[in-house]
Amino acid sequence: MNLTVNGKPATIEGRDALNVSGLLVALQVDQPEYVTVELNGEILERETFDTTPVKPGDSVEFLYFMGGGA
Amino acid sequence: MTKASSDLYSPISDETGLFILKETCMNATRKTLAFDTLLIHGGLEAGPGGATTVPIVQSSAFAHATAEELEDIFRGRKIGQVYTRIGNPTTESLEKRLALLEGGVAAIATASGMAAITTAVTTVVCSGDEILASSSLFGGTFSLLRDTLSNFGITTRFVDPTDLEAVRSGINDRTRLIFLETVGNPKLDVPDIPAIAAIARNAGIPLMVDATVTTPYLARGGDLGADIVVHSTSKYINGTGSAIGGAIVDLGRFDWGSTLFPHFEPFVKKYRQFAFTARCRKLIHKDFGACAAPMNSFLLSEGVETLALRMERHCANALQLARFLAAHPAVDWVNYPGLEESPYHEVAGRLYGGKYGGLLTFGVADKAAAFRFINGLRLARNLANIGDAKTLVIHPASTICCDYNPEEWALMGVSNELVRVSVGLEAIDDILEDFGEALDNLYQRGEQS
Repeated sequence: MNLTVNGKPATIEGRDALNVSGLLVALQVDQPEYVTVELNGEILERETFDTTPVKPGDSVEFLYFMGGGA
Repeated sequence: MTKASSDLYSPISDETGLFILKETCMNATRKTLAFDTLLIHGGLEAGPGGATTVPIVQSSAFAHATAEELEDIFRGRKIGQVYTRIGNPTTESLEKRLALLEGGVAAIATASGMAAITTAVTTVVCSGDEILASSSLFGGTFSLLRDTLSNFGITTRFVDPTDLEAVRSGINDRTRLIFLETVGNPKLDVPDIPAIAAIARNAGIPLMVDATVTTPYLARGGDLGADIVVHSTSKYINGTGSAIGGAIVDLGRFDWGSTLFPHFEPFVKKYRQFAFTARCRKLIHKDFGACAAPMNSFLLSEGVETLALRMERHCANALQLARFLAAHPAVDWVNYPGLEESPYHEVAGRLYGGKYGGLLTFGVADKAAAFRFINGLRLARNLANIGDAKTLVIHPASTICCDYNPEEWALMGVSNELVRVSVGLEAIDDILEDFGEALDNLYQRGEQS
């Protein structure tokens, strides 16, 4: 599945369908308990990660409150 | 092999105040850890080469391989260190430990306790807002709220925190924060924090609690009903008077999406339950710049591990010293919540598990007698601090409260004949002998009441 992750093309090998929680695992997203997920411009509720599907062509942004920002 | 990373001990709190240990070995099991064990192992980041203490990362800034990676960190797309004013690995380790101990979702370590309070309060309130605060606050906090913040259009209404009706009626349509100390310093009054938390919830405003005197060992902020907990970690968390520090712990349960807090809107939208910490870290803490020094974060992290043992001894020694002082003819009165005659004995016992902390105050004949007592001590140190392994004394009226008038002293529970004691970890017989000799000298001079 081809996606856009944080503005860059990304491919999830061997997966045609997965939910947001699965995407966090597949991409080995750092400290997933703290990450905010924006899917196609919409910020998701954490409780919906298990039930929100990710489809080919989707654009995903991960946001942290911890790093950067200076 | 055991995984050496922070997710070994997951901050999943349960209703009993214990935590779940996630075993990552092959035969994965789940078991509960007692608080005392969490102090030692919870959130601990192993150092390189098998080191069992957190490394001191004494670096101002952090290099990254590519421009793209640094951009991602700055934009918040990726976790990484940039600059120690904003974040540092040693400080981050301490922050994780403190969040875990308080039952919070996140913590921010600061340069001092006052830095923590200034940063946390100004994350919540804006010009034109009001704070409802205890009238028996530590002098530095009282000064911040009454004098410094009033210059920025933030006013504070002070009320007796043990008078629930005064708290309730002190809230108006401009109030945006209630600020309390778990135990007032040096008045040693003990507000019923769960009751005040209920008042705050009904009013839709957050409750911020300074838990420096009680520490998470006597009560975790989450269990008390606080929304934000602040600490001067220089005191009991450090434990040896070797570092200045502060901490802000976010319990992650206040609804910052309320219309009373429009300045939180972008943070609620993006960061949900982390909205307070996000606004604090990405704006106020970053801009004020009162960051923790990595060396201090290391020393404070070391202190966390022995907190349980030390607090037990502080509490036991303080109770024995309070009883000894109450029986001495040169002492007019003793104020310690652990004494049954204290008006705060019941609420302190209920909230803090039958432990009453390491601070007490007592009165002698007058200021001159208080000075002669302090000068007559051989073991206890005369200095402006609390929570040290050493027993410490001070005459607050002439030192930490010297800028206030007698009416303000009365609010703070300070008077000319009062001596404050931070009871240390020495053998109790040595403490009693030291105090006994200094008091006997007063008694022999006829300075008893």
